Amino acid sequence: MNAGFEEKSAWVQFGALVLVLGSYFFAATKMYSAGVYDIRAYVPVFSISVVLLVVTLIAGNIVAVATSKGDQSDERDRMIAWRSEYLSSWVLGVGIIGAICAMVFGINNVLVAHGLLASLLLSTLLCMGLRILFYRRGV
Amino acid sequence: MGKTKLPIDNSIRTLRAQHGEMTQQALADAIGVTRQTVIAIEARKYSPSLEVAFRIARVFDESLETVFQYTG
Repeated sequence: MNAGFEEKSAWVQFGALVLVLGSYFFAATKMYSAGVYDIRAYVPVFSISVVLLVVTLIAGNIVAVATSKGDQSDERDRMIAWRSEYLSSWVLGVGIIGAICAMVFGINNVLVAHGLLASLLLSTLLCMGLRILFYRRGV
Repeated sequence: MGKTKLPIDNSIRTLRAQHGEMTQQALADAIGVTRQTVIAIEARKYSPSLEVAFRIARVFDESLETVFQYTG
């Protein structure tokens, strides 16, 4: 793979988020389907997921650094980061507005919290996906 | 996956060859960017800033127009 550290890091973040938070949402969906409507019941599973996510990101970025020959970020990296964040931030915005509306209409806390978390996850996934696309196809 | 071709072409590959087969890494070090950025510029997948364009021209001791050509 002819990629610098920033691109490898984007792959690591994309993969770790899909794997770890994807697993969390799978487990949370099963819990909700089983009738768990107390938000506190989700905290242990979420905490384990966060720890796993941090460990996966640290391990992945160590590998990315070790295989990148000490690359420093440059103007292209900054432009790609800025453009991908600009194009993906609306997802989080929609999630926040959606969560506020959900609270106004008295939707269950579990759904509101997970809607917010899902919008953060999707926004970050879109951001990392766009970064990878810009690195591969050009910007 | 299709590749974006930006409207600014360049002669960097030719100029590197004319300068003792300068490597992409050597050019990248000389102008303060990563090797991946030099690769992207050569492949017309990234248009550098004016500052980096001038640095590249200075490394090869050429004018900006010799190094970069607008084809849009």
